Amino acid sequence: MKTKLIQAYIQYTLDHNSTPQSVYLFAKHLDMTEQEYYNYYASLESLESNIYQSWFEASMQQCSQSEPWNTYSAREKVLSVFYTFIENLKSNRSFVQFLKQRDWKPSLQWPSYLKDLHQSFLLHIQPILAEGMASKEIEARKLIDSKYAEGLWLNFLFVLKFWIDDTSNAFEKTDAAIEKSVNLAMDLMGKSPLDAALDFGKFLFQNK
Amino acid sequence: MEQQSIPSTKVQRAMRFVKTGAQIGGNYIKHYSKKMVDPSTSKDQLHEDNATDVYNALSELKGSALKVAQMLSMEKNILPKQYTNKFQMAQYSAPPLSGPLIVQTFVKAFGKTPQQMFDSFEMKAANAASIGQVHRATLNGKELAVKIQYPGVADSIQSDLKIVKPIAFRLLDMNEKELDKYIKEVESKLLEETDYELEYKRSTEITLACQHIPDLIFTNYYKEFTAKRVLTMDWLSGLHLDDFLKTNPSQAIRNQIGQAMWDFYDMQVHTLKSVHADPHPGNFLMQPDGKLGVIDFGCVKEIPADFYLYYFALLIPEVVEDVSTIQKIMLNQQIITENDSPEVQQIITGAFVKMTNLLRAPFDVDVFDFGNNAYINQIYALGEELSKIDALKKSKEGRGSQHALYINRTYFGLYSMLNVLQAQIKTGERNWKAPLIQFHLGN
Repeated sequence: MKTKLIQAYIQYTLDHNSTPQSVYLFAKHLDMTEQEYYNYYASLESLESNIYQSWFEASMQQCSQSEPWNTYSAREKVLSVFYTFIENLKSNRSFVQFLKQRDWKPSLQWPSYLKDLHQSFLLHIQPILAEGMASKEIEARKLIDSKYAEGLWLNFLFVLKFWIDDTSNAFEKTDAAIEKSVNLAMDLMGKSPLDAALDFGKFLFQNK
Repeated sequence: MEQQSIPSTKVQRAMRFVKTGAQIGGNYIKHYSKKMVDPSTSKDQLHEDNATDVYNALSELKGSALKVAQMLSMEKNILPKQYTNKFQMAQYSAPPLSGPLIVQTFVKAFGKTPQQMFDSFEMKAANAASIGQVHRATLNGKELAVKIQYPGVADSIQSDLKIVKPIAFRLLDMNEKELDKYIKEVESKLLEETDYELEYKRSTEITLACQHIPDLIFTNYYKEFTAKRVLTMDWLSGLHLDDFLKTNPSQAIRNQIGQAMWDFYDMQVHTLKSVHADPHPGNFLMQPDGKLGVIDFGCVKEIPADFYLYYFALLIPEVVEDVSTIQKIMLNQQIITENDSPEVQQIITGAFVKMTNLLRAPFDVDVFDFGNNAYINQIYALGEELSKIDALKKSKEGRGSQHALYINRTYFGLYSMLNVLQAQIKTGERNWKAPLIQFHLGN
């Protein structure tokens, strides 16, 4: 039923070029009572926030069931999640663009309707990163490594925005943006000259 | 990771060029201040300084910018021989595609993952191609090669060319309209190379027309697994030139392979008027029994009929020896113009006749030994000699038709490959000359 409500919500928004103004109006449009609606969502906002989350969960499932998933390194898993999510987003591009236009102000890091997506994202990315740390693909660094997932979330937001504004054929530039930005993020998380520099700095500090 | 040192963003690449521009500016200042002190200072030092700076800039660049700069400088002989050799095979160089990006490319093109399309698909690339990479796959017991292109190559080429233009303009000392003509030619060819659907079409056409040539093998392409950025063909076995020579093939085998290559180009140029214009070792596979496999039809130059009639006539002694005809051809090919003084016309014509006499040497005999290093060195030396002719150096005009750019490159590549192969080729007994003689000399 939740999926149906989400579908109806998107449909309504696209048809009216505006999101439903109240639960009352939306329920009426669906020939259901307000009471019935509250069985599923507490408000229109909570439904809206669930939309991206449900897409992400579906993409995660698709990824983890794909054949090469288990052979992938952490880097490839992250890439795969990004590609799959953006690819699936294509069928709802107009809606995504509408929401961005409505309230993704440049000053805002991310709008409230991505709140649930954020939670889901961290939930799924953290185990992948932990796997990467276990295999030494990603370097464990005190104090910083707990922020890795948040860092990737910012990367994810960048890609999302990039895709929304992308006008290249078949969104080829978004593909390149994913490939390059995720590779950079993973390189930074991996063992890098920075570690050697820090180590050397520490040595000098202690011995001088 | 291995790409770290290459300036990869547009800004960085632009910075490189700005730096080179500044250095060249500096060289001019150096030159003119020297000249004030010592009026006899020649421009040679200046050219040498420039060439070194250009080389330094180029060696840090990758991608299409390098290719263009290199092709243009070959044309004007700006770079000394060692450098042009080094850049001969410059290619767009993309970082390897990640596994998920390969899957994504397939999903976009076919709606399926490679694992769903083939019985097996190796995620690790078998080879790097010029603008992508090649993977092995199998389907119904057949071994396939799947070429996948990096996203955004076409865009990258276009922005690279915007950067290369102002600097090329400075370096080559040509007027803008003339330069544009050449840059457009290179740009259109580079962009064509990014379209695998076009490559599919061309390869099937050329394959069909050249099937009868002995010892030449082509691969079978699969239309249903081909899209703008994915090209699928049968896996062709064989070794690239360098590795093949390490197996110490006999003279007879080397001749056989060289002959197949020669006949292939002969057929394309004189019959199809459309030629595989990228004869570098990476595009050929050689087999121990003397068969030559041709892969990669990304760069195909179609030869306009008018250009063919005039340009290839330069390879016929009777035509070149006829003074009025040669002048007509030189004017038609814009190698000399009406604006040139008669002396300049004469100097340039003389130089070109000398060059074509040398280049057509293989056509004048029945069997030509490309293993003759002295001949190849003579060609190089001539290039440098041409670059020292004042009349050419001072000219702001681009000399020669833009079509000659890729044709020259084709023959240059062909000759040097045959030289490396040390092959003796039956070059005589061709009937393509008759119509050209008829056209120019009347009977």
